[in-house]
Amino acid sequence: MIRVVTLDPFDDKQLAKFNRTLYTAFGVGSEHSGSADVPAGMSEPLDAEKLLDEVKGIRAYKDDKVLLLTSRKLKDRELPSGKAPTTGFARYGKDRAVLTIAPYKDLETGYKAIARHALHQLGTLWELHHCLDPRCSMYPPWTPSFNQGDHIFCTFCREKSEQKIRLAKS
Amino acid sequence: MPEGSAALQLNVGDRVVYPNQGVCRVAAIDVKEVAGQKLTFVTMRREEDGAVVMVPEGKILSIGVRKVASAADVEEIYAFLRSDSDKADLDWKQRARTNLDRMTQGGILGLAEVVKGLQVLSELRPLPTKERELYDNARHLLVSEVAAALGTAEANAEDSIDIVLFPPGRERPKRTAAEFARPGGDEEDLDLDSDLMGLEGGELDLPSDEEPPAEPEEEAAEEGAEEEASEEASEDAPKKRGRPPKAKPAEEGEPAAPKKRGRPPKPKPEVTAEAAAEPAAPKKRGRPPKAKPPESAEPAEPAAPKKRGRPPKAKPPEGE
Repeated sequence: MIRVVTLDPFDDKQLAKFNRTLYTAFGVGSEHSGSADVPAGMSEPLDAEKLLDEVKGIRAYKDDKVLLLTSRKLKDRELPSGKAPTTGFARYGKDRAVLTIAPYKDLETGYKAIARHALHQLGTLWELHHCLDPRCSMYPPWTPSFNQGDHIFCTFCREKSEQKIRLAKS
Repeated sequence: MPEGSAALQLNVGDRVVYPNQGVCRVAAIDVKEVAGQKLTFVTMRREEDGAVVMVPEGKILSIGVRKVASAADVEEIYAFLRSDSDKADLDWKQRARTNLDRMTQGGILGLAEVVKGLQVLSELRPLPTKERELYDNARHLLVSEVAAALGTAEANAEDSIDIVLFPPGRERPKRTAAEFARPGGDEEDLDLDSDLMGLEGGELDLPSDEEPPAEPEEEAAEEGAEEEASEEASEDAPKKRGRPPKAKPAEEGEPAAPKKRGRPPKPKPEVTAEAAAEPAAPKKRGRPPKAKPPESAEPAEPAAPKKRGRPPKAKPPEGE
């Protein structure tokens, strides 16, 4: 089950459409599971890793994947090889991811790009690595062509995610 | 010899890399008795899923178990990935063999070479399924080792690798086959003449592609004649293996007609004068007619129609 938890107010209709997209992409149920508060003391741009660790009040089962959705900006990560532009962050194989809709003002404005980023972060939770296919949502998200693509997976990534989901169910 | 295996002293709690399996932690080193022999076993637990493997201490080096790479090694990996030096081999067989060696014995640099090579190749054409799987495996092992070396999350390790491979703000270049060609010609590079299967070329005795395949009978006849001639000519000369050279056509005579390919025509039956006079009846197709009985014999009575089914029971004699 995919649980979308909002950290900021969003339109319900847009959230319902967003959940339908996630359901179509992964074949597992997706729902809006309420909202949570950003931990006190965190200011914009938010530190994505810290946010995942510190956000409280999320109820989910063990196999559920939680996607935190915010309209605030996330801070770019400093990595040993350079600075990584951060529109979202997910721990590989774990259960929580965070995604920002910035620079778009709402879900509808940049729907395709946001859905593509959401698929990317949820794919990371299901142990998908970055892909070589520019049409796939697992392509590195900081590339210029990423936002123009559709919210789909390539054959390899789709089969791998389906396999992981099947294993998780069994 | 694998990297870092020259002096591999393992202790409980050390992090090691098992080739093709990933980062493991040494859980125990203990002595066990197996088939009457006391052997020291190293028990390793894979960090990813907790799978346990026990390896005799003497086999550790030959398997290729090594310590996790250091931060300095990871910096070298970034420098390698950033460079534009590695071009994948276009010969798939050679590439598969090289990649297999790199995966098992190449250390972290070998993993980076596989990832880089296949990524560059994918800029020329999409990877086939097997190589896509290999790319994913190599990437997974590389990411987990870099994460272990730097003590960071795997997602950060992967992003740090991909920032180098896919620099932000730039699209991947389109490659052409000419970029992969090495100076000196394709065939030499592909190394197709070399011994790929570990067999000597002479042992296979394959016909070259340039020679047209000849008819076996014709070939046998030719070979027989040529062998006789060559034996007579030079018995002392060392016998060459393989197909003997073709006999050259005589220069004085008429130029030989070009050799026709394919099956030779069937020999025609000799035509006699009588046969030539009467035109042959057209050959009938289908089942030949039944032989008629000779007319001189008396016509036999027509046989009673054969009754089908079970024969009637013999009637008991009426007299009793």
